[in-house]
Amino acid sequence: MTTVNDTTKVADVTLKRAGRSVPELAALLIFLVALIIFFSFASEYFLDIENGINILTALSVAGILAIPGTMLLIAGQVDLSIGSAAAFAGTIVGVVSAKSSLQLGIGATILVGVVVGLVNGYLITKIQVNSLITTLGTLAILRGLCYIVGGGQTIMVSDFSFLGLDRPFLNLPTSVIIFVIICGAGGFIMKCTTFGRSLYVIGANPAASRLVGIRNSRVIVIAFVLSGLATAVAGLILTSQLSAAAPMAATGLELSVITAVVLGGASLNGGRGTISGTIIGLLIIGVLNNGLVLLNVNTFWQDVARGTLLIIAVSFDQFRERWAANRK
Amino acid sequence: MPDKDMKLISASGIHKSFGGVEVLHGVDLSLAPGEVLALLGENGAGKSTLVKIIAGDYIPEQGRITCSGVEYSSLDPIKAREAGIRMIFQELSDAPTLTVAENISMGLWGATRGIVSWKKINERAEKALSMLGVDIDINKKVGKLRIGERQIVEIARALSDNARVLILDEPTAALSSAESERLFSVIESLRSQKVGMIYITHRLDEVARIADRVNVLRDGSVALLADAKKATRGELVSAMIGRDASDVSHPTDRPKPGGKILSAHNIELDRAFSGIDFDVHEGEVVALYGKVGSGTAEVAETIFGLHPEHRGEIKLNGKIFSPKDPNTAIDNSIGFLPADRQRLGAFMIRPVAENLGVPSWPRYSNHGLITVAPEEKAYINWTDRLKIRSRKDPKQKIATLSGGNQQKVLLARWFEGSSKLLVLIEPTRGVDVGARRDIYETLRRSAKEQNIGILITTSDHEEVIQVADRAVVMSKGHKVAEFKGSTITTESLITTAS
Repeated sequence: MTTVNDTTKVADVTLKRAGRSVPELAALLIFLVALIIFFSFASEYFLDIENGINILTALSVAGILAIPGTMLLIAGQVDLSIGSAAAFAGTIVGVVSAKSSLQLGIGATILVGVVVGLVNGYLITKIQVNSLITTLGTLAILRGLCYIVGGGQTIMVSDFSFLGLDRPFLNLPTSVIIFVIICGAGGFIMKCTTFGRSLYVIGANPAASRLVGIRNSRVIVIAFVLSGLATAVAGLILTSQLSAAAPMAATGLELSVITAVVLGGASLNGGRGTISGTIIGLLIIGVLNNGLVLLNVNTFWQDVARGTLLIIAVSFDQFRERWAANRK
Repeated sequence: MPDKDMKLISASGIHKSFGGVEVLHGVDLSLAPGEVLALLGENGAGKSTLVKIIAGDYIPEQGRITCSGVEYSSLDPIKAREAGIRMIFQELSDAPTLTVAENISMGLWGATRGIVSWKKINERAEKALSMLGVDIDINKKVGKLRIGERQIVEIARALSDNARVLILDEPTAALSSAESERLFSVIESLRSQKVGMIYITHRLDEVARIADRVNVLRDGSVALLADAKKATRGELVSAMIGRDASDVSHPTDRPKPGGKILSAHNIELDRAFSGIDFDVHEGEVVALYGKVGSGTAEVAETIFGLHPEHRGEIKLNGKIFSPKDPNTAIDNSIGFLPADRQRLGAFMIRPVAENLGVPSWPRYSNHGLITVAPEEKAYINWTDRLKIRSRKDPKQKIATLSGGNQQKVLLARWFEGSSKLLVLIEPTRGVDVGARRDIYETLRRSAKEQNIGILITTSDHEEVIQVADRAVVMSKGHKVAEFKGSTITTESLITTAS
């Protein structure tokens, strides 16, 4: 992504002067609060602890993927293969645990996640294929492999409820706890480690970062490996929630994830974005989906709402940039 | 019907100002059919303003322009085009993914009712190229051609679009000598087709070679108009630099250089430079001086590890050094400033302190953990020392700073990174005069006080005089001279480089 956009970015950049992240997050927060207030009046079931946990549970899988997704977008990269990779992870744990043990299945799944990340990262940095195209390719490959390895069947996985269904702490499902931990880790990485800060620098100007000693390829490969690891965790949670691994699982999940990341303020041009922004983006989508279900809105209309939200968010961003440019 | 002696262009008393500053003070210029007029002058003498007025891009405040007997009170790009005036820019404006024939016919498809006639397109291309006496495959993609061939394709495009006046802006700057020869023969063909040409150049040897008359501009006025075959090199140089040249003064401090930091012996890079030797000592500023395209920038890039395929011997602190990537160079305490600040230097959307701190991250961090405190402190510290004139807000984006201040931040990057050798390409390009003086002062002071070696590449001879202890002059990829101390003069630099 970044390489393609280099020149246009340079032209844009000088126009974008004002500091943006704080008012941007404030606007998102206001929107989230407005949504919550609206649904609280619209449905008597909305404002309820158990419903709050439902919202978090529903967004935890997309959320776990959205954290490395944010890191990648900040570095100017996109991983579209996450939905297929999560389904493939589920298939692996299903197949391996059926043949040997669940522990071995989990281990194999994690390994596969790392390998998927390495392959994506290697293709993008060494062979220098654009990340959008590379991961569109691995998206198709991994989905195909789900059917080939799993024989096209939904594989039942028994005695595997602890990730998706058990509520070990504060009545929260394990998946929500994992999501919260990953959010914390992601925020820490982006603010307090040279790796996280290198992602911003690479996204802001990959040609310049190389000239100040940043090892672009290494950093980007690590980010893709983190994304691959997240797909393994997501695939395990999905399988645990259903006690089964389906080959069509998590179809289209990448779209929800990218919607949340972009809604949260990460720039498609790289160099900009925060973990906290992504979390608010995830909550907005989670609340919207949940509220629409409570209001008995047809699920197909939920897709329409989510897509509209994405376009509004991005248009809003463009308007503000133009406004900032004119004001200068 | 124009008579035989009718001038293609006759401009007189042209005045032009930008923002209240007059840059052309009543310039005259004329061009006859089949004539080559060389236009010489220093950077900022007004050459490009003058030719842009002739091409209709700028409207002069005063003056008359007559094209083939028709007087224009104000020429605009469309009228200039109708008058047959075409400019061939240094930056090619062709379409690399299309074929030669398509490029030549671009915009002149010869279509009937929206259906393109490939026969007409090919005929037009063949005809234009044969008029120029060159043999280029019209079905080849332009992107696959050498730079000189692409230039000829652009000339062919202008010719097939009825060009009568061609303005060539430093056409040989990026060409090899063989390609230059080919261009000269194209110019001869154009001459026999009665096309008039204004030929902007920095290369004095080309003037007598191809031009009929030479027009030297200095500070917005015509300093010399002469027969190109008779004007001597000395006359041209003194017309270009005038008396003001003596105002440029050498730095007064001449530190005794210490030990050798860098020594390059017979280094070579295909299609860029060969047989280059030079040394950089501790406390010394060395300038690689040459025109754009002379190979100076590539030498600097090679030292920083951007051309691992180079040959020859480079020694750093007496040990063999093979720079294979920027990390190798940075690990050996070499800092680098690229020519293109926006594209290769700054992280425009990131905070100014981060822009300054990145190369020092390994020192600031502990097992990969890092805070912004050290770089913000460093920014505050360097704003004073380098006279960075801006708010002392380390979180502001570097894009909010002026060009000169941005450049100071990018230099401070490597001072903060404790580099022992700085490699700087065109360090004051796009920098205003005040900041330029600050940068020269900083470079000289830090070389002396911190005992670091500084290698700059530049195409500005005044910069060499003001900042360098030693100057290595390059031309067309070869080292042509080396000067030290007071032997670095405008005359010595310009005469050897062209």
